[in-house]
Amino acid sequence: MSRWRSILLVAKREVLERGRSRGFIFSMLFTTAIIIGSFTLPAVLFGNDGPTRVGIADPAPAGLDLAIVTTGQLLDLEVEIVPFDQRATGEAAVANRDIAAFVDVPADLSASGDIVFRESADPRLQGVINSAVAALRTNEVLTEANVDPAALQAAQTPPTVQALDPPEEGADIQFLIANLGAVLILIGVFSFGFTVLTGVVEEKQSRVVEVVLSTVLPRDLLMGKVFGIGVLGLIQLAFFVVAGLIAASLTSDFELPATTPGAAVQLVIWFILGYTLYSTALGVLGALASRMEEASNVSTPVTLIAMAAYFVSIFAVIDDPDGPVAVIASFVPLSAPMIVPQRAALGAITPIEIGLAIAVTIVGIYALFVVGGRVYSGAALQTAGRMKLRDAWRSAGE
Amino acid sequence: MLEIIDLAKRYGHVVALDGATFTAQPGRIVGFLGPNGAGKTTTMRCIFGLARPDRGEVRWKGGRVDRDARLRFGYMPEQRGLYPRMRVGEQLAYFAQQHGMSGQAAGAATGRWLERLGLADRRKSKLEELSHGNQQRIQLATALVHDPELLVLDEPFSGLDPLGTATMTEVIHERAAAGVGVVFSSHQLDLVEDVCEDVVIIARGRIVAAGPIDELKAASGRRHLEVEVAGSDGAWIEGRPDVEVLERNGGRTKLLVDDRVPLDELLAAARGAGELRRFSYQPPRLSELFMEAVAEPDAATVAEEVAS
Repeated sequence: MSRWRSILLVAKREVLERGRSRGFIFSMLFTTAIIIGSFTLPAVLFGNDGPTRVGIADPAPAGLDLAIVTTGQLLDLEVEIVPFDQRATGEAAVANRDIAAFVDVPADLSASGDIVFRESADPRLQGVINSAVAALRTNEVLTEANVDPAALQAAQTPPTVQALDPPEEGADIQFLIANLGAVLILIGVFSFGFTVLTGVVEEKQSRVVEVVLSTVLPRDLLMGKVFGIGVLGLIQLAFFVVAGLIAASLTSDFELPATTPGAAVQLVIWFILGYTLYSTALGVLGALASRMEEASNVSTPVTLIAMAAYFVSIFAVIDDPDGPVAVIASFVPLSAPMIVPQRAALGAITPIEIGLAIAVTIVGIYALFVVGGRVYSGAALQTAGRMKLRDAWRSAGE
Repeated sequence: MLEIIDLAKRYGHVVALDGATFTAQPGRIVGFLGPNGAGKTTTMRCIFGLARPDRGEVRWKGGRVDRDARLRFGYMPEQRGLYPRMRVGEQLAYFAQQHGMSGQAAGAATGRWLERLGLADRRKSKLEELSHGNQQRIQLATALVHDPELLVLDEPFSGLDPLGTATMTEVIHERAAAGVGVVFSSHQLDLVEDVCEDVVIIARGRIVAAGPIDELKAASGRRHLEVEVAGSDGAWIEGRPDVEVLERNGGRTKLLVDDRVPLDELLAAARGAGELRRFSYQPPRLSELFMEAVAEPDAATVAEEVAS
């Protein structure tokens, strides 16, 4: 029988056993609920940003509706006009919140007119309506005074606006994706990497490892376990991302920048590399423990390294994505998974550098499998207390 | 045939194996005996590549034991253990597949063994939901489900109730009859005497006795003689230098004799003392052979070995 079949059987067992477990399903549903909630709750709680409805008494002065809508646009307020032919029905609509305000100005502008609010005036809306009415009146007066309409329009043209340093299209989103990447990879390490760790310790603690290793090579068992749990991790990640995108597209007009597919591919690649590297290290260290209580002890060094890499990524790299710290950290296998996608999302790394970083990390993973596989072989059957790394290495000696 | 050749293994300063050599033939049941710490578990672990010997090797059908050979072995380690939360049926099928069976064949074999061990209705239960005895049965099934050609069982009888012991004995006999070589370790020597044809006795990492039980017994010069003479006080036996009196209780005497003792003479003497009720001449029990074999070599023997 080929070693690949053996590895795949181990991986399949992990996927089926863990994927069907209540804990996995609950945590998946719970997290999905949080993701969907974080997109939809604001909309539900704070109301949707639909247009503000304003009622006007019909007949109204010519051009009032247009004047209110355009003035609103200038002040970033979207207004929808609803005509009412009786003041009473307009006021009733205000009372039952169907419209925000009711404007009653005589069609011939013969009186100053009224604006009716429900409880108190909304100053912004009041300002919009006031300006619109005032503009109509001014036009009316000036037209009656035979002012040249062209000169009038020219006089009313506002200055053009210029920005010296306009923000790049989608820069905020880029930043968000960069951060999200580092967080997801950290979650991958801490959630699924620790699943590998506890899986290894459980096998030792239940003593099943001796039966398994009587046919499966230690390195293959470790590889299958990392692979199977990684598949679950990717399934979960994909599930969350899809749920997030669907929720986002349903509830707002949130638009992803054009660089998103590239960033997502980077994220997936580095999630896989980062997870594989860290979960292998955690699996090897897990073999040194013989009880669950020792597991967090043996894993401390890896936890610290992962945290350090994360802090470098959110402080040093975001501040200065081209700086020496960022460049060096991109070629260290333990930090690359958190640094490179960040720099890529910020556009601060070339494709050649990315390829090189991927290669370096893969070499790191391979080296870890060779060294770790031997430590794992030496430690997996040692069931009395915590084993030292060096002893495990020696006891598996050729 | 399984050959254990000159295995040596040392853990730090502790010598676990010191040149152990023996063989196990197909269709034969070998009882692998020895005091705690003598090297039984280490030997078994070497067979499965779980421990790497410092010297010596394990051969199967004339070749070195590699992973492919091990797929044809079944193992029940001393430290029992399976996946506690995995379903019984899936667990057995998993181990069968890890031994190279196809998914379909593994499922069928699982069904057969669960049926055979009376656990067909527990196929979908999690292992931890089973009683201790039933978990032991599943552990045995794990070693058997892929139909191995060699069965290595480390203390298979420990912790079994009489029913479990009966099942285990039956299965071991059945497998051996099917041509499977069986090696099992045990401390229950009377049981071993009932179950096995061959024994291998290990002490301090070396094999101190090996062979068919009957031959070992015959080769031993010791014999037990139990004589009961009604109305005698047992005085008839006194004064013989070739007889050691182990126990004397009225007319009943238990004696330890050399196998060259003149039986006719003793029988005549007993008859002369009164009405003979019982005269039984037996080889030693396995437990005696064991004690004799594993006894610490006395200082004289050690000196002799050093000198030679």
